[in-house]
Amino acid sequence: MALPVLPSPSNFLAVALVINRSRDGPRFVFHYPPHVGPAQCSGAKPDGADDVDIDDDDDILLGRATRDGLKRSTSSDPDAAELSHWNHEDHLVTESGTQVVPWEYVAGFPTKDLENILTPARAYHKKLFQISLDPLLCVSYPVHVPENGVWRNKKKQQQQAPRKEDADAAAATDADASFRPADRRASDVDQIEARDIAKAAVKTVEETEDKKSSMTMFNLVFILNPKKHEAKDLVDVMFFHIIKKINKAYKYCQQRSDFVWKESKRILALKDKAREDKRTMSSLWDDILSTSSLAASMQDLYDAISRNRIAALQLDTPEGLVTHSVQIPVPFHISDLPQDDSDDQRGLWLTTANSLMGDDAVDEPDYVDKNFALLPMTDEKKIIAELQSDADETTLQMIEFVRHCKPTLSFYQVGQQSSNILTPAQVRKFAQHFIFWRRAIAIPPLHARDMYIVSPNCDMRRLPQAAAQWARQFPLSPPLPNFLAELSVAPRPYKLHCPSKAHRPVYMTMLAWLMRGGWVTQLCTFAYVVVWPEIVYEVEFAFEAEEIARAKRAQNRGGEPRSVEGEGDFSSTSAGMAALGDPAVADFGSGFLPLLEDSPDLASSVATLRDLSLSHSPTLARTQQHSRVSDAGHSSASPTLLITQPTDSDQLEVLWRVTTNASTTPAEQAAEKARLERIADKTARELIERATAHARKAVPVQTAHPSVNSARHLAGISPHIILDAKKATGKESLYLSAIGRRLRERGNRSPRDGGDGGLRPGPGTNSMMSSSQRTSSSSRLFEHQHTKSDGRGNHHHVKTAVGGSSSKEGKENGAANASGGAAGVKDGKDWDERVANAWPLFWKYFNGRSALERIALQEEMKRKDAWNLLTAMSEYLLCVRHW
Amino acid sequence: MIQGIFYARFFPQEGYMLFGTKIVAQSPPGCIVPVPGVSKPPLFDFSVLSEYVIPRQAFCNRYITVNDPEGKYSVLGFPVSIRSQRYDRNEFIFNFGIVVECEAVTVADQIPYERVVRRLAVTFAEMEKQNCYLSQDPARYHVGGSGGKNAEYSQYHQKMQQQVLLQQQQLVAGGGGGGGGGNIYRRPIESLLEIVKEDLNNYGECMIPVDDANTINMKLFPHHPTPPEVKGWHVPVAKMKFSEVVDPTWDLTLQRVIAHIDGVSDVRRIAFAADVSLELTQLALRHLLYYDTILLLDMFFFGACYAPRPAVADFVTNLGGIVDECANYVCIVGSTTHHSPSSPTSHHLSSSSDKLPSTIGSESLGDVLTSPGGSSLSNGGSGGGSHRISNYMLIKLMTTFCVGKTVAEWLKGHVDAGFDVMRFVDVRRLVQFGLIKGLLYRVHKYIVSKQYLAALATGQARPLGAGGDSLQRYTDGRHTFDQIMTEQNLTDGEIMDRLKSFPAPAGDLTVLYK
Repeated sequence: MALPVLPSPSNFLAVALVINRSRDGPRFVFHYPPHVGPAQCSGAKPDGADDVDIDDDDDILLGRATRDGLKRSTSSDPDAAELSHWNHEDHLVTESGTQVVPWEYVAGFPTKDLENILTPARAYHKKLFQISLDPLLCVSYPVHVPENGVWRNKKKQQQQAPRKEDADAAAATDADASFRPADRRASDVDQIEARDIAKAAVKTVEETEDKKSSMTMFNLVFILNPKKHEAKDLVDVMFFHIIKKINKAYKYCQQRSDFVWKESKRILALKDKAREDKRTMSSLWDDILSTSSLAASMQDLYDAISRNRIAALQLDTPEGLVTHSVQIPVPFHISDLPQDDSDDQRGLWLTTANSLMGDDAVDEPDYVDKNFALLPMTDEKKIIAELQSDADETTLQMIEFVRHCKPTLSFYQVGQQSSNILTPAQVRKFAQHFIFWRRAIAIPPLHARDMYIVSPNCDMRRLPQAAAQWARQFPLSPPLPNFLAELSVAPRPYKLHCPSKAHRPVYMTMLAWLMRGGWVTQLCTFAYVVVWPEIVYEVEFAFEAEEIARAKRAQNRGGEPRSVEGEGDFSSTSAGMAALGDPAVADFGSGFLPLLEDSPDLASSVATLRDLSLSHSPTLARTQQHSRVSDAGHSSASPTLLITQPTDSDQLEVLWRVTTNASTTPAEQAAEKARLERIADKTARELIERATAHARKAVPVQTAHPSVNSARHLAGISPHIILDAKKATGKESLYLSAIGRRLRERGNRSPRDGGDGGLRPGPGTNSMMSSSQRTSSSSRLFEHQHTKSDGRGNHHHVKTAVGGSSSKEGKENGAANASGGAAGVKDGKDWDERVANAWPLFWKYFNGRSALERIALQEEMKRKDAWNLLTAMSEYLLCVRHW
Repeated sequence: MIQGIFYARFFPQEGYMLFGTKIVAQSPPGCIVPVPGVSKPPLFDFSVLSEYVIPRQAFCNRYITVNDPEGKYSVLGFPVSIRSQRYDRNEFIFNFGIVVECEAVTVADQIPYERVVRRLAVTFAEMEKQNCYLSQDPARYHVGGSGGKNAEYSQYHQKMQQQVLLQQQQLVAGGGGGGGGGNIYRRPIESLLEIVKEDLNNYGECMIPVDDANTINMKLFPHHPTPPEVKGWHVPVAKMKFSEVVDPTWDLTLQRVIAHIDGVSDVRRIAFAADVSLELTQLALRHLLYYDTILLLDMFFFGACYAPRPAVADFVTNLGGIVDECANYVCIVGSTTHHSPSSPTSHHLSSSSDKLPSTIGSESLGDVLTSPGGSSLSNGGSGGGSHRISNYMLIKLMTTFCVGKTVAEWLKGHVDAGFDVMRFVDVRRLVQFGLIKGLLYRVHKYIVSKQYLAALATGQARPLGAGGDSLQRYTDGRHTFDQIMTEQNLTDGEIMDRLKSFPAPAGDLTVLYK
């Protein structure tokens, strides 16, 4: 998710309320912040971002035009020069005696003019109204009185006070609904009804009077000053998340208790009085903000939104307090490094974990539960204190939830650990609530065995402050720069940074702290299945054998291979093979004719596919070869058979021809027969040809390590990568099952060499080494370069073997070794069995998008087990590591 | 695309047929207010928008845009108010406006029209001031009432006597119209607007003589965001062949700088080689960056570290043939077989459409590789013992980069595994390809001094304070080694040596990679 263009004090200048009245016309009610200076023309922005596109000469001419206009402006208007020195605090009196009131100039425009242009016609009712007054951009969502002229909605008064938004995230996300109790049209009907009833009940005179002179529309205008290229995005974001929602909230209050109009009258009265008294602007504004909750809500709105926080509004209507919150949701993570050095995305957590939630996760709610933990953004105690301030049943449960939540526990585990006080649905709901209100983020559960690296997106500008804060929070731990340096040198499981097991809890808290600040990110492993040439060849070979066998079977049944072709997915019979009349082949075939009396073709060929893996011995292969050749011989003899016994379909065809075309002469029939004969002959020969070609091919031989099999017949084949093993079909699924068989039989084949077990998915694990170097290099793969600082800035490059059997990690990984090497003797077979059984289970993670680190959680396995299984499969995996 | 263009005027005389804001000319006919003979309804209800087309005095003489209630169109205008004694009520207000679609694919589509609107306003304002071009328009034009019930055809002369002649006329659509009123011939505004609209929509520019003395020249310029700053340690890589487009009229500095863009040299080096100051070089390159003709990478070192980004998945899946593209770019045609003399030019072969740098001279690789070579040109690469390595191998190479592993170590790993990378692949190009396509990122090296950080946190940082080292200002973790190298003219090793004598307590400095 890309970061939206966010409002800031530089592009969000002010918020203003303008109303229109039926008798007295428009009025500019209030604006915040009080001093909105004339915005600089976009051409003169300090960063010079947009100044490129205004012609110089046009500017000169325009400048003249503007000045002409100003010079002749009405004498009551203050001098431009005078205005520029004005502090927007005190009242000015011009020479002609006109009073210049500070709050009657907003962003360089007189409010007299603004109030006119910012009260659009009814056509804009509940629509986006957007007007740019160079350089300002005013965006709003005007709300007009219903056509019948009555705001009040009698029926609505029975409704209970709106739900407290804070207590219910769902309601907040769907705020529109909460403020628009019924469908728009329905509510209009209601209003008409209500009026009719009111009429019948004889409306009071006051009410009709009120209707005549009252407000006909209000418009909360957002005054923006965006950069040109971001204007549309900013407007979209503001309109959708803020402007629309806030206006709906106001409309709700207006409909229920005439709130906006009453507050406006109060503010206007204060302003009029202050104008007489020549009060300073700041004292008036203080006054207004303290007396009017509408004005105060505008202040809250501006202060929060311009800093991109959550604005919590409290509208003190006669019918009780209405609270409402709005915010622009911002992603708390990004999946890739930002394009250029854009500063606003610096420091965001870098991960691909959440981008997955979009597609695959929708159908499994389990996915989120099992894969994510809640990381509070502030202190847990602080959140609990916040919640305790108003306790009801929901908040009590939430406190319970917060107590149980740990960044190391998935939601699923939280549900279990709270001894089922919390249902999974509750856990999910609360988590969403905290995330929505930016009190927490969802992360894959932290684990000491996982690797964490310094995030390339971390915000180094915050390092000095962060280091100081870190030192306060973790006084006994290494200083932040050192710790980050240690993490950044070479990726290692986090627990290796921890001096002892006793330190583990503190170190996990440190990790959570680092995650929260976006300083680190998890380094994950993503895998694809690699099919080595040996396997490719083996599958192809078996496949071909089966196809030939099938063709032969069809022939034996007297059918044409043509009819069989349709059955197979991969019909590869090449009709272009010009095998016709090749005597050599025929002779070759007929030479073996005596051998196939019992015609074992079907059985043997099927065996080649099914039992190929069992047949290692060359002798067996050779016998198979013989039988295959003999098959070919057999088929060469079959044409005669074919003619005498045409297939059913052929018979039918002939019959059909005979019956429908009675005029067929015997000569024609003979010609037809001859034609069929020729076709049959040709296919038979082709089959022979193929069988022979197949027989000449080298027989697949299984080696212990297909990745390094450099036999000559494999030279032309390059390894095949299965992009998504879960979606594999056709040949790819054959490859997968062939690999599965290999895994199962690995123990039978040969005593395992220890090096292979230690192969762990990681940098360069993907076995690409030649056979001679294989064993030696597999341990080298774990060598990472360490740069150690010796304090005075003297840096040595030290090669440390992290892997192999020399270090802790190695031992851990060596668990596979242990079961492979040592245990290989006694229960290697069991282990292979397990690996082979896990193989189809793990397929779905081999798609380059699912981190292997999460398999354990997802499959509810022990992490160690999952890793060992993966290690055993690693020969067939292509791994890449990123976040 | 301009959907409509119009000329609106404010008529001050109350009681006449023409009063208030009226559309005097529009193109296509009926786009703003209905006219007889055009069945297509107007784009929007002009009566709603008219107050923004001719706004109050306070908003005149500035660029104003407003959307229609349906949110389909934006009206871009520049209401001009000219005050003069010669006008009725001492004021003449007009606006030449353009209607464009709101829902245009990108914002940028609306930005270029601002200049058009401004230019129209300025030109006509000036012509009006000089010889009352608009107020004394002799041509016959029609005026559509905003209500649109009965369109009035009228000819309006505003002379000293301020008389209005109403005259039934048939509509002259963008046409000759002939001489009316015995004045010298000039193009009616309606047809002028039509030309402007058509030319801008079709050619993106127009050049229209309005009368003997005035011509309107306009061009739509695409709006580009401001490019990031060019730093001394960036390495510019050309996205096009500058040598083919450059001509002697180009800026001289730019010409000198362009000659040294080879995809290897950093900005500082280019400035030195071109004998141009660093600032000017950066400016020139930023200009090229603005037009998206170069991209910036960083310096390549065998001691540097690169790591995959999530987009590396596209490489594994060979999305859009990216691996083949990579092969063409990085595979070395063995010097033993043949050396194609035309290789530098024919690099361009497939890369004009995509974003591949194509102008890197093969000779520049000489210091890196023992055998200088161009890139493999043949797509298949299977014939004649070519050294096009398999897609699998390229994927393998690309995915084995990792955090904490330098290129040299990566290389050694592959060589030890039996694959002599250098013989088949230009490593620098491979890394460059990965960086350009967003498959890899550079893991930068930083130096951090805790002492300095603490000073910064308390706000009492004193860069280059007494006894401070000139390297101190780089020790806040925000400056990469690349920057220190280029700015201090030191090598990595020299920096490390200098840091040994850095005046700080033991253990103060740490090296950070990110």
